[in-house]
Amino acid sequence: MQQLSLTQYTEAPSAGRETRAAAGDLVVTFPQRDLDPWAEGRTFARLKVRIFRTILQQTLRDSWLQIVMMTVLSGILWLVLFFLAIDGFVFLKNTIPADLLVEVIEVIFGVFFVTLMIMLAFSSAILLYGGLFRSPDVGFLLTLPVRPERIFVFKYGDAFFLSSWAFLLLGTPVLLAYGVVMTAPWYYYVLMPVVLVAFTHIPSAVGGVICLLLAHRILRRPGLLATFVAGVGILGLAWGIWYVRTAFSEQTLAPEWFQQIFARLRFTQHRLLPSWWLSSALLEASRHQLGESLAFVGVLVANAFFFRQVGVWIAAGLFRRIFSEAEGGQSRRRRARLHRLDQVVYTLLGCFPLQTRLLLLKDFRLFRRDPVQWTQFLIFFGLLGLYFLNIRRFSYETYYQGWVNMVSLLNLAVVALLLSTFTTRFIFPMISLEGRNFWILGLLPLRRQTLLWSKFWFATVGTVIPCCGLILLSDSMLGVSPLITAMHQLLCVSLSVGLSGLAVGLGAKIPNFREPSPAKIAAGFGGTLNLILSTVLIVVVIVAAGLPTHLLLGSWTPGGSTIVDLYPQLEPTLRWWWLLGTLASPAVACLFAAVPMRLGIRAFCRMEF
Amino acid sequence: MIKFVNVTRRFGRTVAVNDLSLSVNRGELFAFLGPNGAGKTTTIKMLVGLLRPSGGQIQVAGLDVATHPRQCAQLLGYVPDQPFLYEKLSGREFLEFIAQIRGMTREETDKAISEQADRFELHGFLDDLVETYSHGMRQRTVFAAALLHHPPVLVVDEPMVGLDPKSTRLVKDLLREWARSGGVVFMSIHTLSVAEEIATRIGIIHRGQLLFNGTVDELREQLAAQDESLENMFLQLTLEEKRAQVPTSTLE
Repeated sequence: MQQLSLTQYTEAPSAGRETRAAAGDLVVTFPQRDLDPWAEGRTFARLKVRIFRTILQQTLRDSWLQIVMMTVLSGILWLVLFFLAIDGFVFLKNTIPADLLVEVIEVIFGVFFVTLMIMLAFSSAILLYGGLFRSPDVGFLLTLPVRPERIFVFKYGDAFFLSSWAFLLLGTPVLLAYGVVMTAPWYYYVLMPVVLVAFTHIPSAVGGVICLLLAHRILRRPGLLATFVAGVGILGLAWGIWYVRTAFSEQTLAPEWFQQIFARLRFTQHRLLPSWWLSSALLEASRHQLGESLAFVGVLVANAFFFRQVGVWIAAGLFRRIFSEAEGGQSRRRRARLHRLDQVVYTLLGCFPLQTRLLLLKDFRLFRRDPVQWTQFLIFFGLLGLYFLNIRRFSYETYYQGWVNMVSLLNLAVVALLLSTFTTRFIFPMISLEGRNFWILGLLPLRRQTLLWSKFWFATVGTVIPCCGLILLSDSMLGVSPLITAMHQLLCVSLSVGLSGLAVGLGAKIPNFREPSPAKIAAGFGGTLNLILSTVLIVVVIVAAGLPTHLLLGSWTPGGSTIVDLYPQLEPTLRWWWLLGTLASPAVACLFAAVPMRLGIRAFCRMEF
Repeated sequence: MIKFVNVTRRFGRTVAVNDLSLSVNRGELFAFLGPNGAGKTTTIKMLVGLLRPSGGQIQVAGLDVATHPRQCAQLLGYVPDQPFLYEKLSGREFLEFIAQIRGMTREETDKAISEQADRFELHGFLDDLVETYSHGMRQRTVFAAALLHHPPVLVVDEPMVGLDPKSTRLVKDLLREWARSGGVVFMSIHTLSVAEEIATRIGIIHRGQLLFNGTVDELREQLAAQDESLENMFLQLTLEEKRAQVPTSTLE
C-alpha cells in the first residue's frame, strides 16, 4: 500500500489510499480507507441498533406505562378492526352475488389502499423533511467521509418505520379477515407480509423523492413546505369528498346509487397504481391463482426497489447542494412584525390583567410562528370540519332519526378525544419547554402562578373556540334539537376547561426539563398519564350527561319516538340521571382542572431552576 | 494546505463572505477573528463542506471541497461551535462509530480511542451515555472524535466555549502542538488573548471582508500601534466609524 507523508498532501490523495505521516512527524495519520457502500451500510446499521437498544431499555425502565398502554390499545384496535372486517366480509359474501362480489371487493380494496398510499406518501415526505433538514446529526454526518445517499437511506429508514406502522396496524386485520372469510390458501398468508412491505416502500420512496425535489426549491421559505403539504392534503381530501358526493344524485343505497359510486371509484383500480398491484396480488392469491399473484408481487417488489433507488440517485447527486441551500435559508434573518392578528388577540384579551395578557400574547405568537403546531391543529380540526360539513349528504334523517341522535353524540365524543390528544401533545409540554428558559421569566416581577394561569387560559380559550364551533357545525348539519345543541355546548366548555387544567397542572407537576422535543415530552410518563386521565374525564362527562341527554331528548326510531315514549317506566330514572349528570359534569370537569392546577402550582412554586 | 480562492457566499441579498482569498500552510495555527455575524462560521462551514460557495473555490490539499467533499472530509477534523453527539450512545460507542466511518480497523480504533481518552481524560465517563455529559465533557469528546484519525487539517469553531481552565490549557497546548508538528489548525475564536497567545497568524474578517491577514506583530506595524494588545487593535480595525482615524489610546 502506498503511504503518504504530510508533505505529500499538497497532491490530491485518491480515495481508498492509506495516508500516514513521515517518520519524525508528531502528527501521525491513521490509515483511512474509503469504506465500500456495504461496510458503510453496516456501520450505520450498527449505529441504529445501538440507539434503538438504548431507547428500548430506557423506555422499558422509565415509561413502562406508555408501553403497556400502547400495546393494549393497539391490540384492542387491531382486534376491533379484525372482527369488524370479518363481519363486513361475511355480510358481503352472504348478500352479494358471487360475480358482483369480486367487483365490490376490488373497489373496497382499491379505495382503502389508495387512501393509505396517499397518506403514506405525505407522511413520509414530512417525516423525511424533518429528518434530513431539521436533525442536528445530518450536518455532523456531512462533515465525515460519508456518502450523501447513505444519509438519505439512514433517514429514509426512520421515516419509513414511523409512517408505515399505522398502515400495517390498519391493513393487516382487514387482509387477514379477508383471507379467513374467503378461505384463502396458505400462500395468501405467506405472500401478505412481502406484498405489504414492498407496497409500503413505494409511496414512502415517492414521498422521499417529493421531499428532496420540493426542498430543492422552497426550503428558503421556512414553514412553506409544511404549509404546502398540509394545503395539498386538505385540498386533495376536499376534492375526494366532492368527487364522491356529486355521485349521490340517486337515492342513497339504491342500486343506481351503488352503480354511480362504483363508476366514480373506478379510478382507484387504475393499472398503474401500486394499490391495484397490491390488491390484485392478494385477490389472485385468495382465488388460488399463485402464478398471477406472484407476477403482481414481482411488479411490486421491482417498483419498490426502483423508487427507492431513484431517491438514492437524487440524494447522491443533489443532497449536499440541497442541504447547503437549506442552511442558507435558515441563516436568513426574518423581521418579526406586529401582526394584525396579534393586535386583535391583544384587544380581545382586555378582560385579563396586564401580565396575563402579555403572557397570553407571547404564547399566541409562539403558536402562530410554529408551523408544526398550527398545521397539526388545522389538519386535526380541519378534517373534522370537512366531515361535519358533508355529514348531511348521508341523509340519515330520511331513513332513521336514531342515526342523527347517535351520530351527534359520537361526534361530541370524537371532538373531545381529539381535543385530549391536542392538549396532551401541545399544552402538556408547555411548562417543560418554558422551564428550560425559565430564568428569563423568573427574573421578571411575575408571580409563578400567574405563568401557570396564563397557560391555563391560553389552553382553555384555544380549545373552547374550535370545540364549540365544530360541535355547533355538526349539530346544525344534523338538525339536532336546540336543547341538545345547548347541552352539547355546555359539555364542550366543561371538557375544554377540564382538559386544559389537567394538561397545564400535570405539565407543571411532572415536567421534563431535559427533553427539548415537545413530542417526546408528550410521549413520556407524564404525557401518557395526562392522556389516560383525559380519557377518563371524557368518558365520565359523556356517560354522565351526554348519554342521558340523548336517551331522554333524542329520537330513536324512524317515527321520532324517544326512549321515554317507548319505555315510559324509565322516565323518572332518566330524568334524574340527566339532571344529576348535567349538574355534575361541569363540577367534575372543574375538579379535573382544579386539583392538577393546585398540585401544579404548588410544585411549580417550589421548583428550583 | 488550505486555500480560499475568491470565495463569496451570499444568503439572498446578504453577502456573508465577500471575495475571500486566503492560504494556510502546514505548521500554521491560523486564528480567524471577527465580530458576531462577520462571516467566520460561514467560512468554516464552507471549508468543511456544509455550505457551498456562491463563487470561488476552496481547496484542501489541492482538492476542491465542493467537488471532492468526501476526500476532503478524510483530511479534516472538525470541532463545530455547537457540538453534536448522539445522546443515546456512550462516548465510546460514538468514537467507535466515527472510527468505523473513517475506515479504521478494530485494532486501530481501540488504539485511537485509548490515545484520545488519555489525552482528554475521558476514561471516567467514556462508557456513560452522552445525555448525562456536562458541556465540558461533550466538548472534550467532540475534540477526541475530531482527532481520532490524526487529521492533517484541524478546523475548530470557538474551541474554548464551556471548557474549564484545565481543559482550556489542554486544548491550547494541543492546538499549538498540532501545528508545530506539521498539521494545520484553522480556528475561529472570540477570545482574543488566546488567539494572541497561540496563533502563528491571524485573519480579521468584518462584514464578509478580510480586513487583515498576517501576524500580530505585522498588525501592530500596520496600525502603528506599538505595545497595543490584540484586543485594542481588533476593535480599532473593526469599529467602522473610527477605523484608521481614532488613536488607540481613546479606546482604553
